[in-house]
Amino acid sequence: MSKVDRILDKYSARVYKNRKLHIIEKTEDNHEISANTRTIPGIMTNRGCCYAGCKGVVLGPIKDVAIITHGPIGCGFYSWGTRRNKARGDKHTKNFVEYCFSTDMQEPDIVFGGEKKLKQAIKEVVEIFDPDAIMICATCPVGLIGDDIHAVAAEAEKLYNRKVVAFSCEGYKGVSQSGGHHIANNGLMRHIIGTGDRVPTKYSINILGEYNIGGDAWEVERILKRIGYDIVVNIPGDSSIHEIENAHIAHLNLVQCHRSINYVADMLKDKYGTSWLKVNFIGVSSTVKSLRDIARYFNDPELTARTEEVIAEELAAIHDEMEYYKSKLKGKTAALFVGGSRSHHYQKLLKDFGVETIMAGYEFAHRDDYEGREVLPFIKEDADSKNIESLRIEKDERRYRLYLSEEQYEKLRKEIPLDYYEGMIKDMEKGTIIIDDMNHFETEEIIRILKPDIFFSGIKDKYVIQKAGILSRQLHSYDYSGPYAGFNGAVNFGRDVLMGLTTPAWGLVKAPWKNSPMIEGHLQEVV
Amino acid sequence: MSKKLKSLTVNPCKMCMPMGAVHAFYGIARCMTLLHGSQGCSTYIRRHMATHYNEPVDIASSSMTEEGTVYGGEKNLIKGIHNLCRLYDPDVVGIATTCLSETIGEDIEGIIKKYHAQYPESRVRLIPVSSGGYMGTQFEGYFRTLRSILRHVDMKKEKHDRINIITGMLSPADVRTLKDILSLFPIAYILLPDASDNLDGGYEESYRRLPDNGTTLEEISLMAGSRLTIELSLFCPPEDSPGEYLKEAYGVPLVRLGPPVGLRDTDAFIKLLSEISGAPIPERLKGEQGRYLDAMIDSHKYNAEGRAVVFGDPDFVYSMVRLCCENGLLPVVSATGTSSPRLLELLHDEIGKIAPGLFDEEYAVLDKADFERIEELALEKKANLFIGSSDARRIEEKHGIPLVRCAFPIHDRVGGQRISTLGYSGSLNLLDSLTNTLLKIKEGNYRKALFETYFKDSKVEAPQACGVSATDLHPCFSCTGAHRYARIHLPVAPDCNIQCKYCVRKFDCPNESRPGVTSQVLTPEEALQRFLDAKKRLSNLTVVGIAGPGDALADFDKTRETLRLIREHDPNVIFCISTNGLALPQYADELVALGVSHVTITINAVDVEIASQIYSHVTMMGMRYSGMAGAAMLVSNQLLGLKLLASRGVTCKVNCVVLQGINDHHIETVVEKVKSLGAAITNIMQLIPVKGSAFEHLEMVSAKTINEIRKRCERILPQMYHCKQCRADAVGLLGEDQSLILYGKKEPVQEVPREKKGLRFAVATRSGILVDQHFGKVDEFLIYEYHDGRVAYIERRPIGQYCTGGMDACDSQEDKMTRILKALHDCEGVIALRIGVAPQRRLEEKGIHTYTTYDGIHEAIAKIAREMTGEEAV
Repeated sequence: MSKVDRILDKYSARVYKNRKLHIIEKTEDNHEISANTRTIPGIMTNRGCCYAGCKGVVLGPIKDVAIITHGPIGCGFYSWGTRRNKARGDKHTKNFVEYCFSTDMQEPDIVFGGEKKLKQAIKEVVEIFDPDAIMICATCPVGLIGDDIHAVAAEAEKLYNRKVVAFSCEGYKGVSQSGGHHIANNGLMRHIIGTGDRVPTKYSINILGEYNIGGDAWEVERILKRIGYDIVVNIPGDSSIHEIENAHIAHLNLVQCHRSINYVADMLKDKYGTSWLKVNFIGVSSTVKSLRDIARYFNDPELTARTEEVIAEELAAIHDEMEYYKSKLKGKTAALFVGGSRSHHYQKLLKDFGVETIMAGYEFAHRDDYEGREVLPFIKEDADSKNIESLRIEKDERRYRLYLSEEQYEKLRKEIPLDYYEGMIKDMEKGTIIIDDMNHFETEEIIRILKPDIFFSGIKDKYVIQKAGILSRQLHSYDYSGPYAGFNGAVNFGRDVLMGLTTPAWGLVKAPWKNSPMIEGHLQEVV
Repeated sequence: MSKKLKSLTVNPCKMCMPMGAVHAFYGIARCMTLLHGSQGCSTYIRRHMATHYNEPVDIASSSMTEEGTVYGGEKNLIKGIHNLCRLYDPDVVGIATTCLSETIGEDIEGIIKKYHAQYPESRVRLIPVSSGGYMGTQFEGYFRTLRSILRHVDMKKEKHDRINIITGMLSPADVRTLKDILSLFPIAYILLPDASDNLDGGYEESYRRLPDNGTTLEEISLMAGSRLTIELSLFCPPEDSPGEYLKEAYGVPLVRLGPPVGLRDTDAFIKLLSEISGAPIPERLKGEQGRYLDAMIDSHKYNAEGRAVVFGDPDFVYSMVRLCCENGLLPVVSATGTSSPRLLELLHDEIGKIAPGLFDEEYAVLDKADFERIEELALEKKANLFIGSSDARRIEEKHGIPLVRCAFPIHDRVGGQRISTLGYSGSLNLLDSLTNTLLKIKEGNYRKALFETYFKDSKVEAPQACGVSATDLHPCFSCTGAHRYARIHLPVAPDCNIQCKYCVRKFDCPNESRPGVTSQVLTPEEALQRFLDAKKRLSNLTVVGIAGPGDALADFDKTRETLRLIREHDPNVIFCISTNGLALPQYADELVALGVSHVTITINAVDVEIASQIYSHVTMMGMRYSGMAGAAMLVSNQLLGLKLLASRGVTCKVNCVVLQGINDHHIETVVEKVKSLGAAITNIMQLIPVKGSAFEHLEMVSAKTINEIRKRCERILPQMYHCKQCRADAVGLLGEDQSLILYGKKEPVQEVPREKKGLRFAVATRSGILVDQHFGKVDEFLIYEYHDGRVAYIERRPIGQYCTGGMDACDSQEDKMTRILKALHDCEGVIALRIGVAPQRRLEEKGIHTYTTYDGIHEAIAKIAREMTGEEAV
């Protein structure tokens, strides 16, 4: 039986048929995987909902905006400080990242509608907190009872003279958080980006899709600023609404998390002509590669020289520690199951330490995240994806400009991932397993069959993994550590993983799968 | 209640109904929960529970999509139940609705029927609960679910002897405590629910994904026939109460009690168990109760300083408030996010009883609260302690008010599953946490608190004009004054609060100008008398100083009284004190008020590490601190004291004793530092090693070096070159000590030598009491005669210093040595504190023996003379 079949062995015929499309073993030719389809009810999925992707992930890290969760209390409470997106306020920038605002809808609001309460809540948030902007995120009942939150937002925007944007991100929309990312992207593009009037400088760039978990964005920004880039905005980690307003002026967009932010990247390209570059600041070698790719885009000898100078200095500074951790971690095996990009990014970092990835999967990625953007034309639209609006973007004739000539652009596209993402699978070794939307049951099967040394995932499966005697590290929250990005982050990561592997407790417990014999057979008496 | 806020909830103090439903189902054996709605509900709740319990938490979802909102979720729900059963094989599946399924009005009971029709072979018990997020909080959701479980299990009505125990959302550890208490009574019971293993599992050989511990369906079915239900919740709404249901439907009598937390509620529960079982209260529980009572008394004095904010579920809030109240810890804010008017009523009864006793009627109780309001009230009521979940961590961080985490959810600490608050043992555990948190505040802040109470609010006044002009009249502060104006040192302060390593306490303090050696300590009244006497004799007496013989501030009552008495008689005389500075911050304002215009502080180091080598310990507020701690305390108080005084216009002189190899390279730093704090002049002095002190063998810094240091420091601050290292009871002009005359210890000096009868000794002394001067420093010797076992004073013989040690170095030493030899020609011996090798040889050549000692003059002479004559001591 193949590894894939062993994992699927216990499923009923119907579930088997479905899940088989989401679980593949990499071979020479087979890359196709089913993704972004409905979760099978009743199996313990790790996926969240549309609201989680919109409010929790994409909008949550914007610090000077008061995000009002319009709905009953639960969703607001559960998304309050759940992700470790760090933010710093200062004299000029308010910081509401630590706050949860909710309309706490009660039964009468469901029966008679919640618009009145929402209006009043907006008034109160203005009076008490005076935020620079307000966003309204809907939870399940809002769409069902027909509250027109967009009309409320438009009215409030006039009334309070600040941006008020509504997001219809009811939990049931789409098939996972991914729908929420798209809705958030649309809102940012439609209402916020392009309303600023900052003037670009020579090396103006945006970072897109860096969430500043555990301070990742700060490490990335540190490196880029050392080289001399002018970061207009990092959307959304530790960002201000006023920075996002100017996102259209950058000469280049760096896309870190392709899944959650590629819509904004594409729309910026269509509307303003700004190219985007797929980068990966997780891992030393991939950070170096990303920095060199950016320098090639700008193609300025001085900038290139400065880039190499910074790379050399940064590498020298972490060299000894990296070598030490590598000497300890080399040869270990890892399984990765994270959201929509990290499972790819962290393979590079693990490789820096000589750790081999034997299984990787995404919670809510689409086929292009697995197979590369070349499959985009072949992805069939289904009822769920149609339910998420795809913005039609017109060229902004006045502000549209191309940084590269057509000739330069075509040449460069062959050299660096410009407006392109190759996906995760191409980077993986033959014989490795790729799983989409993995559930609790499959997690246990992976442990039983593949026996990785380290399992990187999130809090929901952390304790399952640990009870199976395997080290678990959370790649959503970093287990309260971080940053893991960039050069210094790589060292933190190596330290954390080694610390986990060498915990004396592992020596005192026996992994359950070690109790069963590896080979079964019987002794035959020789006469 | 909640300010003007009606529509906006800021930082919620509650969760939603499905959270409670999941908790209830987790206490049922072989039960899985499926939330019917969007999958985010399951994911969010799993995430919150896994973080708190550090256990796998499996909650399935029907993963409804937009299509489901139009056509209903039936297909998804049936599929979900089926898949769940296939993968987990549960006996029970709890189906809790969410906002989505409630809003679209799903008929769960109908769908369940369809499921069974579709899968007739399935034996699973499906239990629905209506738990839309907007229908209440986790508190109601939890009880409603338990009630629904009772309604959907086939009940056996036959009566039996067991009792039902129904609890609220308890931690696994608390459930274990409860079972432990029950096991001490001869009672058969059914506990609903019991998540003690399912949410706090151990590390086992094989991991079972289905939670198979907890209350079984079999046990639940018997609950209808039990003889009594004890429901450990006072605030569960009757319509959601499982106990009420059993009473209504099956006639099971119901007793509702608050959770057994704290003395009174645990007592009540234990008493009830004893009554039901007919068994006496077990000794073990009596012992636990005794220990809890003992702890209540032991920690009452700390608890009385507590001003707590209690927040959470109504039952939790009530339990905590009762525990606080019985321990004299005032709950200044008690808040629940749930709506519960009854809780408010009972809280008023409880807190209202204790508040007047704590002189504080101002407490707040509120329901439907959010953290914005709680924070506001906590600040208003000056709370110093939060009790509840980790959701108040932001307030803790923002305002530094500590939070004792003892309720779900806890996201930033481990051990949520082991929270222990139940029974006497749990209450004791919690009480210790509360008390220790208060103690931590106290221990961490008492120095700051003292400072703020006693010093911080004192006003900094502009320098007084008189302070400046007065300096000219002060011999110790002004070079001109040194030669024209007289001062009197009054020895009223014998105690010292530090131990310098160069000091032998036997002879008091040689610290400030080595003055500590006085003949006699005066009472304040005697000191006044001496001042008045001296004033009659010395018309140029401008200064009254207190320089010990210990530290002027170590026993400040005496110093204060002395200065007060003198001021009554002389409004103009300048007051001056000398101190090591330890107690200065404490008394600076009083000194200023008493009119002290000049203060000398001996600061030998401003670096704590160096200081720690100079002082062996300091004594402050009854505690002795040694090493770095003591040094740090001394140095910081010296510097703070100096700053306080200087800022109030007091002229401050800083004395600094140079210690070879210890602070000799640090002196300029000291001078610079004290200058920055407002010192007017520094007096850099030589150490005279004293026998018996820790620095007995420390090499002396040469006078030359001292002068070099002074020269260097002169660029920073004016230096005092004319210091004569006075004694504590010195009177008169510097260098012309009148004390021996004035105080009648000796006859006035007779210049005519008397006939020699016995052995004569020349004594190097500054005090006139002790041999306390270096031979080279002497400008006059006191001549004594030993005769017939008696020591008699003969006369003083001025010779001019052998080594001037002054600015003009040692020019004509030879002349001076010759003069000395001539002056001492009739002496058999010279007794000094120390003597150089060269003069010793010269003296010995002339047949004059040299002795070094640090002792009383009479005692030293008697001892030496007896040795010389071979007499036995009398």
